[in-house]
Amino acid sequence: MEGKSTLALCRQPPYGNALAREGLEAVLAAAAMDLVPDLLFLSDGVFQLLDNQSPAEIHQKSLQRNLQALPMFGIEQIFVCGRSLIERGISADQITIPGVEVRQVQDTGKLIAAYDTVLSF
Amino acid sequence: MTLHIVSKSPYGCNALTECLATFAEGDVLLLIEDGVYALTDHKWEAAPAGSVYCLRADAEARGIAIPEKVEGIDDTRWVELCTRHNPIVSWYK
Amino acid sequence: MKFALAVHSAPHTSQSAASALRFARALLAQGHELYRVFFYCDGVHNGSVLAAPPQDEADLVGEWQALQQAHGLDLVVCIAAAQRRGVLSESEAGRLEKSAANLAPGFELAGLGQLADAIANADRLVTFGG
Repeated sequence: MEGKSTLALCRQPPYGNALAREGLEAVLAAAAMDLVPDLLFLSDGVFQLLDNQSPAEIHQKSLQRNLQALPMFGIEQIFVCGRSLIERGISADQITIPGVEVRQVQDTGKLIAAYDTVLSF
Repeated sequence: MTLHIVSKSPYGCNALTECLATFAEGDVLLLIEDGVYALTDHKWEAAPAGSVYCLRADAEARGIAIPEKVEGIDDTRWVELCTRHNPIVSWYK
Repeated sequence: MKFALAVHSAPHTSQSAASALRFARALLAQGHELYRVFFYCDGVHNGSVLAAPPQDEADLVGEWQALQQAHGLDLVVCIAAAQRRGVLSESEAGRLEKSAANLAPGFELAGLGQLADAIANADRLVTFGG
């Protein structure tokens, strides 16, 4: 299944609705099928990346476990919208994932246009 | 050349704003469902001339007039737009 | 051209499942191929045979089934998303020891691999959600 470049556009924050989790599950499943997507975190999707989440008390599994699994599925870098980070007052040191290079993107449109398929979550 | 499909009103959701902030050269915008309420505002004018479409049925269903600079299209033309553009990005939340 | 659709929204909640159906009809009418419709997230409810809308409203589940029959469509409901939301086939209901099954004829339950396969094989993927 190689040769088709795929981007998962992640725009939703974690926990408040299921889309963030189900988006990451789809990404991991696709990667397990050798269709390794790139990820772009945009708008409230950047909140998925905050490294101090502890959702046990709201009876949810941490989304960070899914993010930390990315390198095991061959995803060693993610793209993050720089403008979305600035708007939300998030600094680069708040969104680190072990084994994953976080690359800030300014021109998200140019990035998106380069893919064959875009999944919206 | 991306086809962006926006289906939410710009008054209650930032989907259109986010979409326009990621517009690249040659991209086009299609407003569907509640996305057609954007036609009552001026935000869509940030997209280059001739690059904005809306589903006529969705606009008519809501009693929203289609400005001259926006092309109202039917479902056949919607499919045709999708064949001419890739990738297709849906902005639905 | 080969299309695949991803439907992320439930019928009778927002317009988008109905939009997906409209789009599917339009592309088939133009002679394009619909490789697969993948129902994910709340979209799994499109595959529930128990939906019973009033007679003067559109019956989306029935309309998907009719389109499936007419064109031999591959309507795939994501099994993980469906289990969470209570859309089960006979065999899943048995395996999970649930008292009823509700997957509509014409739909099938399968894993997320079917989404990856659709991406790999279709020329276009269009997502319907919200």
